[in-house]
Amino acid sequence: MSSDTLRRDSDRRRYNHEHYSSTGTSSRRESYSSSRPMVRRKKQFSLLSIGKGLDVPFCMLIVLLLAIGITMMFSASYPVAFYEIGDSYYYLKRQLIFALVGLVIMLLVSYVDYHYFHRFSVLILGISYFALVLVLLIPSETGIHRWIGIGDYGIQASEISKFAIILFLAHWGSRYYDKMHTLKYGVVPGAAIFASTAFLLLLEPHYSCIVIVALLTVIMLFVSGIQIRWIAVAAIALALVVLILWATGLLTYAMDRMDGWGKALEYVDEAQWQQTWQTRNSLYAIGSGGLFGLGLGQSRQKYLYLPEPQNDFIFAIVCEELGLIGAVAILLIFALLVWRGIVISLRAKDRFGKLLGIGLTAQIGLQVILNILVITDWLPNTGISLPFFSYGGSSLLMLLFQMGIVLSISRSANIEKI
Amino acid sequence: MGANQRLRQRTVWLIIIILAIGFGAVITRLAYLSLIAGEDLQQKAVEQQLSDTTISAKRGTIYDRNGKILAQSASVWQVVLSPANFKDDAQRDYVATRLSEILSLEKEDVLEKTKQDSYYTVVKRKIESEEQQQILELMNEVEEKYDLSSVIALLDDYKRYYPYSELASSVIGFTGSDDQGLSGVEFQYDEHLTGTPGRLITATNANGTVMPFDYSQNVEAVDGSSLVLTIDETIQSIVEKHMKQGIKDHDVYNRGVCIAMDVNTGEILAMATVGGYDLNDPFTISKKDQKKIKEIDAEYLIENGYMEEGEPISNKEVDKLLEQAKSEAESLALSQMWRNKAISDTYYPGSVFKMVTLSMALEESVISEKTKFSCSGTFQLYDKGIGCHLESGHGSQNYEQALCNSCNPAFIQMGQAIGEENFWKYYQSFGFSEKTGIDLPGESDDLFFTEDGSMGPVDLAVASFGQNFSITPIQMITAASAIANGGDLVQPHVVKQILASDGSVVENISTDTKRQVISESVAAEMRQILEQNAIDGTGKNGYVAGYRIAGKTGTSEKLSDSNGDFVQDYIASYCGFAPADKPEVAMLVFFDTPLAGNYYGSAVAAPVFASIMGEVLPYLELDAQYTEEEAANVDTIAGTYTGISATEASKLANADGFNVTIKGDGTTVTAQVPTPGSKIPTGGTVVLYTDESSTTEQVMVPSFEGFSLSDVNYIASYYGINASLTGAVNSSDSTAVSQDIPEGTMVSPGTVVTVTFSASSVND
Repeated sequence: MSSDTLRRDSDRRRYNHEHYSSTGTSSRRESYSSSRPMVRRKKQFSLLSIGKGLDVPFCMLIVLLLAIGITMMFSASYPVAFYEIGDSYYYLKRQLIFALVGLVIMLLVSYVDYHYFHRFSVLILGISYFALVLVLLIPSETGIHRWIGIGDYGIQASEISKFAIILFLAHWGSRYYDKMHTLKYGVVPGAAIFASTAFLLLLEPHYSCIVIVALLTVIMLFVSGIQIRWIAVAAIALALVVLILWATGLLTYAMDRMDGWGKALEYVDEAQWQQTWQTRNSLYAIGSGGLFGLGLGQSRQKYLYLPEPQNDFIFAIVCEELGLIGAVAILLIFALLVWRGIVISLRAKDRFGKLLGIGLTAQIGLQVILNILVITDWLPNTGISLPFFSYGGSSLLMLLFQMGIVLSISRSANIEKI
Repeated sequence: MGANQRLRQRTVWLIIIILAIGFGAVITRLAYLSLIAGEDLQQKAVEQQLSDTTISAKRGTIYDRNGKILAQSASVWQVVLSPANFKDDAQRDYVATRLSEILSLEKEDVLEKTKQDSYYTVVKRKIESEEQQQILELMNEVEEKYDLSSVIALLDDYKRYYPYSELASSVIGFTGSDDQGLSGVEFQYDEHLTGTPGRLITATNANGTVMPFDYSQNVEAVDGSSLVLTIDETIQSIVEKHMKQGIKDHDVYNRGVCIAMDVNTGEILAMATVGGYDLNDPFTISKKDQKKIKEIDAEYLIENGYMEEGEPISNKEVDKLLEQAKSEAESLALSQMWRNKAISDTYYPGSVFKMVTLSMALEESVISEKTKFSCSGTFQLYDKGIGCHLESGHGSQNYEQALCNSCNPAFIQMGQAIGEENFWKYYQSFGFSEKTGIDLPGESDDLFFTEDGSMGPVDLAVASFGQNFSITPIQMITAASAIANGGDLVQPHVVKQILASDGSVVENISTDTKRQVISESVAAEMRQILEQNAIDGTGKNGYVAGYRIAGKTGTSEKLSDSNGDFVQDYIASYCGFAPADKPEVAMLVFFDTPLAGNYYGSAVAAPVFASIMGEVLPYLELDAQYTEEEAANVDTIAGTYTGISATEASKLANADGFNVTIKGDGTTVTAQVPTPGSKIPTGGTVVLYTDESSTTEQVMVPSFEGFSLSDVNYIASYYGINASLTGAVNSSDSTAVSQDIPEGTMVSPGTVVTVTFSASSVND
């Protein structure tokens, strides 16, 4: 508690630009040690950082989304659970347990001083690569390698990657804040991490995650202060690649490969029709909802028409049951969450906190947007879950863990606490 | 700008991009899908969510005018599989084996169906109750054995039955595998007969089981309407019986047609294309055609242009061509078999048309009773000589004599008097230029010289006696009915009533009179002339004793040589009506290509007309009025003379107008020939038996053919049998042409043999 008091009294700006690596080489640590007094640094990094109290609005929004999410997940999953497992409450029970565990983890993490993650950023990035390679080596019946499983439980390798990239880039961007405008410090590391991660994701394959990782990288680099022109260069390079693919006819080929993306309602051939089954039924569900929806629990598409309605396509069932009005209301709550998360991050007392908070909050926004683009057939159907809604223990735990970090940031952030 | 400031600024941009653009795009997309595309998507969703089971509607019944059932649907079943519910191949194999055994199907085919990834595939349709019972047992067995309850299902289905098989086949028609009418009334009134299938709509999940929420709607099937035809089964049977006999007697190559029509209402009482086909088995061609198709060989292929003679082709190709030729020949044979000649065939009406020509002339008053028509045996028109059937010529005749003589030269002169314009006018008003509009499918158009009715002098000359233009039999009888009923052209029709499935009347089809064609007075005169023709004119072979028959013979040349014997083919027809003073029924008898030698309408069609009318008129309960001459030949019904003493019985029989022969030594009559209730010619002999032994005595039926009326009576009494005389019995030059019990048959004394007479001198 003493460090807390100390931090509250200290000039926030002074510490914003300070960088403390937790995972650097011993020589680097030594060099820091020599420039800064050890005692003071330790005080700053106390494990249980209560700060000024967590941000209640953000916390309430999380709990609200989780409540709505679990309700809808139950509504969407009970027919599938009944028909396929024989227990309507199967998914609900598990998700509830994970949500409770997750909330506890979130609160615990919110007490952890987020600066603690500085020292793990490289390690976690290493774990991310390890997971991405490992997942490719695990035999898969479907030919799609996304999950690392331990018994019945598993985690998508990409969940780790996304967090690892945010964390590392926040770490890097805060450490080399004064060099971010250079190519060498500002662009190359981020581009290299993205390129290597994207390559491994391509092998899984997990296209939508590549899009998320790309966007997260760009966002992190953008707010870290790289020169806009590099983003422009990347955009032009992307456009060129697309143009070349289009000119050589490879684009159509690539798009055909992407599970009949964008053609869910057209019958091309039997294989495509089967492949787009889930997306098509998602569109049917959204269309069936109309403005006001069929009412909570009244979805028909969840009766085995929409496969795995509890997972990535849960929002289609939300649209069917609650209509456009319900869907927009939920999206507004998400928007509020993102807004609040960004506000918290901007008020964070240091650059690492700002970047980390922005990254984690932006990730939620991106996931929501991309998830809905997937279920509305604007992106290929490749596994982007909807935060707080989609069934999945590990991803929910991961999500609430990350929210815990944002809450931890909020504790020390300069915002009004209720 | 400091690093922090830039971060803040860029974050503001970021939040704008994510929230405004990202969320904006997402909400726009959702709004588009749920509001604009929503209806369409919802429709598609509903389509897949709703399981729509069709409940078959029962096809309506077809009755004859007296309520006898001509066509009826009975409940049968169809067996369907839900192969996606099978769990392994062993189950598939077992079910396929059992199903193929029960339903007599190829196991391979059934096995194929069990492997489909679907929830509905039809294994067999229209199975009967015996098979259905076995399927039910199999269903129970499969459920017990494999715990599979939703693999096999039985659905209601209907099958069409035609109790009279061949009767009126071309009128009734038949249905296809989907219960849809394919020909005849079944086709024409398909919409009425079909009814509206019901639907059982339930919301189901993707596996096809019913969803737990209430979303089911049951639309009851509305059974099809029933039809009451104008056809009278009894008349139709009489017609077909005699037509068959006529076809046999005269070796008719191309089948025969008979239409009987109520002249006042246009109701078709009978319409037969003989030989027809079994409505219960409409896809099997006649044995004769089957044999012909079997005999198709390489020579046939060359003759019919399938290949050139000496064409270098492999045996395999020849086999292929043979296959093709056979299948084409079979399709042709089927369409010929189903063809309703009464409305689909066109023919030269020939001399029958003279009744129309004379009506025209009388209506236009271009001739009078004083007009004389001369006939020298030929009529010279420009450089063309047109012959009369009587080569010696008919001399000078008035119009009545001209018709009774069926004199071609006289009618040429009449045609000239009428003129081409009037001829065309009446041709149209008698309804020959348009379809009659009878409620049957496949009616043909006429074929006149030109479409606007213009014709040359030779055309007019031959048209006057019904040659060189083609009409359908139904058009001819409709015109004849107009003459018979006093001049009204009525709409012929075969359906009298449409009944709802509960029996209530939906629609009564009433008489539709199109127009008055000729005046009542001309019609009356025509009736009288045609009656005269039937009494002692060329039409006398169509006479029926006791009834006032009016009629006209016709012999038409055919354009095509249908049987390929390079001899001119003819159509022999007779068209008439009765009673002549107050006509009720008109009838056209028509034999296409009789090959037995005599091809004249008077010889081939007229006697058949007479035989049919002879049965139909009493059936219609029209009272017979015999001339004195006829009264001698009229049949009387034998009473019961058994069980009483021989003397008493003799008295009774004598009182009924019979001669009596008593056989045996007993005192009480134990048996009699003819049996009580049978018809015996007046003055005929009744044989009474007084003991058992005497009943074994038999006599031989002699040949009556070629003998005159009086000779036949004499021969009959000499042999101890009774001869019932029918046909042209009033004509002095009539001779017996047929007998119903063949010569040489051993019968009991007193047995009645029906002998038909025909005036052999008439060749028209």
